[in-house]
Amino acid sequence: MIEFKDVSLVYPNGTQGLKDVNVKIKEGEFVVIVGLSGAGKSTFIRSINRIVTPTSGALMVDDQDILTFKGKDLRRLRTKIGMIFQNYNLVKRSNVMKNVLAGRLGHTGTFRSIVNLFSKEDRSLAYESLRRVNIEEKLYSRADELSGGQQQRVSIARVLTQKPTYILADEPVASLDPPTSHQVMSYLKKINREDKITTIVNLHFIDMAMEYADRIIGMRAGEVVFDGPVSEVNDQTFEQIYGRAIREDDMRGGADREED
Amino acid sequence: MKKIDYGQVMAGKTPSIYTAKTKSRLLLIFGVVLALYLFSTYQTNSTPAELVIGLPNLFALLAKFFPPNFEVLIASSVVAAFSETIQMAIIATTVAAVLCVPLSLLGAQNITTNKYLYGFMRFFLNVLRTIPDIVLALIFVGIFGLGVFPGILALIIFSLGILAKLISETIESVDMNPLEAMQASGAGTIQTIYYGLVPQVLPQFSSLVLYVFEINIRASVVLGLVGAGGVGLVLDQQIRLYNLENAMAIIIGIFVLVVIIEFISNKIREAIV
Repeated sequence: MIEFKDVSLVYPNGTQGLKDVNVKIKEGEFVVIVGLSGAGKSTFIRSINRIVTPTSGALMVDDQDILTFKGKDLRRLRTKIGMIFQNYNLVKRSNVMKNVLAGRLGHTGTFRSIVNLFSKEDRSLAYESLRRVNIEEKLYSRADELSGGQQQRVSIARVLTQKPTYILADEPVASLDPPTSHQVMSYLKKINREDKITTIVNLHFIDMAMEYADRIIGMRAGEVVFDGPVSEVNDQTFEQIYGRAIREDDMRGGADREED
Repeated sequence: MKKIDYGQVMAGKTPSIYTAKTKSRLLLIFGVVLALYLFSTYQTNSTPAELVIGLPNLFALLAKFFPPNFEVLIASSVVAAFSETIQMAIIATTVAAVLCVPLSLLGAQNITTNKYLYGFMRFFLNVLRTIPDIVLALIFVGIFGLGVFPGILALIIFSLGILAKLISETIESVDMNPLEAMQASGAGTIQTIYYGLVPQVLPQFSSLVLYVFEINIRASVVLGLVGAGGVGLVLDQQIRLYNLENAMAIIIGIFVLVVIIEFISNKIREAIV
């Protein structure tokens, strides 16, 4: 369980990233955070694995206040939180297998990882993860030979190999075209269902949020301005969150979906 | 849009390329450079006339270098000296390539975020590079006596300065996104560097190490002149003994060696980058 208690974050340049955020996210939920860029979605997500550190309040992950974590505790926290990025963040010159195995680094000793001594279990886990996102045939391709959608699937496989309890996805489909976006979101949703991994996704596309979320949190200027199940959300809710009328580019579209 | 009436501006006047201010500034700079030159010539007593007077001497001396006595190149002592030069370069380049890894990581702003440590490392690397290789060789020959060892030490420090500087700049230009991903998944600092950074810099690293190896071959010849081993030492002896035909053969030998090594390392570099 993740619980934000009066969490605020002021960046060194004075920008208010988060303002008195109070949110509780239960096991297995699929939460989508919506808001315009600069609304604090990324700051919210990155506070959970402490890539950024809130300046006040308490942030409980599995009943521990992670804001005080340092060194080893911080590493252990990050090991159980997988993260997916807008730009996939793969090592482009390394092959897919090595990129996926990098998900095991937090679980592997420094020496063993440097001499490439990943256990047999780790290697078969990496392959199994690739199979789950249907990209196992690219095992030995270099990451930069893959398309954007394929790279994002490899990065999902990397997160699966990490065996996390939580998955954070920061604008995972912002660089992808509509069909590929739906494909990536479907994989995230499937993993959430099958592995009961609590998943928090940042999106700015209204239609995608509505289609995949169990629950929607709306943010504006660092504050949570909406929090409720998808069933309570309508167009007015989004206009309220965005503080303006809904436009066409708030929609991803792409109903013509392909499964692979 | 307002149209400029060129006819009006140009009336009765041909504009020059530079303004009067620019022209007078250029003239001033030219005058200063000329004055510095004349002053230096006067102080050192070296005029172009010296060159003309010395020219016949130069030709007379040059003639003594010919014909080169290529037989000297197969003398066992010369062969040994050539291989010593190559060995010095190999040892020095290898040691410098290993030592430059921590130095260039500490001297890269994106990896070493502590700005005092980074600033210190930058300063240290700059100092390292300001000492000419020949001065290093003189110092080490003074400490350890004549021979290969002081030469190798001088080459290590000399190439470390170049390598650490160039590689830290390569490190600063890498894509930091994968490193962020690894940190976010709980990887330690060494793991993050090894998995996220090393694959990105490895091709440039190998290329720069080969480049420094070429430089070291050339530098080790010069170091021999101050007694730091290698073929330079033999060359120096032959010139002192006035065996100029031998010296010429050795110089040509060095030239051929450098060209061959450059050719090989160019081919390898093309293959990896």
